[in-house]
Amino acid sequence: MIDVLLIVFIITLFYLSIANRLLSYTKVLAVQGVLLFFVVFLQLNEINTLNLVLIMLETIVFKAVAVPMFLAYLLRRNNITREAEPYLPNFVSLLITTAIVIATILLSNSIKDTHLDKMFFVVALSTIFSGLYIIASRRKIITHVMGYMIIENGVFVLSLAVGNEMPHLVNLGIMLDIFASVLILGIFLNKIGDVFKDVDVEQLTNLKDY
Amino acid sequence: MLSLFLIVIAAFFFTGIVVRTKSLASGRKGPGIMQPIKDVIRLFKKGAVYSKTSSIIFQIAPTIYFSSVVMAMLVVPFGQSKGLISFNCDFIFFAYVLALGKFFSIISALDTGSSFEGMGASREALYSMFAEPALFILMGSFALLTGYTSFQEIFAALHIGSYLSYALATLATFVLVMIAMIENSRMPIDDPKTHLELTMIHEVMILDNSGFDLGLLLSAGYLKFAIYGALIVNLFVGMVDYQYAIPLFFIIQFLMAVVVGLIESFMARFRMNHNAQFIVALTSVSLLIFFGAILILGKFN
Repeated sequence: MIDVLLIVFIITLFYLSIANRLLSYTKVLAVQGVLLFFVVFLQLNEINTLNLVLIMLETIVFKAVAVPMFLAYLLRRNNITREAEPYLPNFVSLLITTAIVIATILLSNSIKDTHLDKMFFVVALSTIFSGLYIIASRRKIITHVMGYMIIENGVFVLSLAVGNEMPHLVNLGIMLDIFASVLILGIFLNKIGDVFKDVDVEQLTNLKDY
Repeated sequence: MLSLFLIVIAAFFFTGIVVRTKSLASGRKGPGIMQPIKDVIRLFKKGAVYSKTSSIIFQIAPTIYFSSVVMAMLVVPFGQSKGLISFNCDFIFFAYVLALGKFFSIISALDTGSSFEGMGASREALYSMFAEPALFILMGSFALLTGYTSFQEIFAALHIGSYLSYALATLATFVLVMIAMIENSRMPIDDPKTHLELTMIHEVMILDNSGFDLGLLLSAGYLKFAIYGALIVNLFVGMVDYQYAIPLFFIIQFLMAVVVGLIESFMARFRMNHNAQFIVALTSVSLLIFFGAILILGKFN
């Protein structure tokens, strides 16, 4: 069952690479949160109940509901245009994401370690790399934050793989999550969409040090 | 042998059900279920008109197209009973005999010398090229999973047990339905109702065909849908007895026709430049099926 959820997780990555609107990015983030919720429920069956409840609450509240809704609210409030505006065409993005997944499968196949759960490893690595790719290939700051959220989901998946032995790692993943929320709050408080008339990172290259 | 009869019977009703679903969804009563077949019979009674600029290729292409679809139909099995032809690696034969028919329909469209038809031919060639790896990776991973290489043995040995194999069967059904839509030029890829030549794919290729030839092309299209439906049925009825399998065949074909009708009613056609990435996404999904097959086999851990 966990394998099924993780495969669906990879499919969300493919969808993310061809999605056109920023709102569908937030929806995909919410779906990933729900998937992670079920993965946590099925995978972490050896840690104590209080910790499990904490982790599950965090995944469903922060990852699946709060952050995507807040991002959607930011999109409306800061008048950010609804298209993702990638540097590369979506077709190329899809090919690159597929290449990332294949590369991680090949990479993990070459690792001869019996302690490592390969399925989690593949999903985590491909999520981290496609999050990096999304950050590198999209133009707006808000998409950079979304790409960061995706990377962070990947780190969380990786920590789940060893979650039964080392629950502290999962808690560290949650800390990362809360840190990311603070990052989004920064965009919210600074009203980046409003202050710079357009939120194009191109303009950051104009900053100079005298 | 059994599959041949079943596919032909399903082909009689398939397009009628699609059309009826579309008209019910848009609040009309719509034509009868047998109307597409009546259209084809009417066309078969007519002669064909050939342009002076076209050559022999334009005249033989519809016949080759139709016969290639019939050849592909002969390979498709049904549950434990083999197709009329069955040999090792016959899914490669299946894919390429369909591709041969498609090749002839493309060069016959180029043969007419119409610029519209050339454009449609180029699109059709591009989309079939993108759809091909999806089908091969899908069938290849099933072959890997079962250890056999012919359609009948693959489907007979494919039994669904664990959660992962349920997921793989769902994904495979999705990929096969979408490949059927691409091969038949239906809605998310191509709009069969469109009246503007610039947005057509398949329709624009057969603009110059008339009478008997057009009847052949249309009936080949009906058969193709039923063939892909039969492939999907085969995913599920590998070990089932005939008294359950035959009703199941018609139920799944009916459901697939209704789904196609509903998709055509409630979705808009993709923009032309989005089609390619959609079709390549199917390849990515079938790569995941391949990955899942490796996981089931335990070659990965």
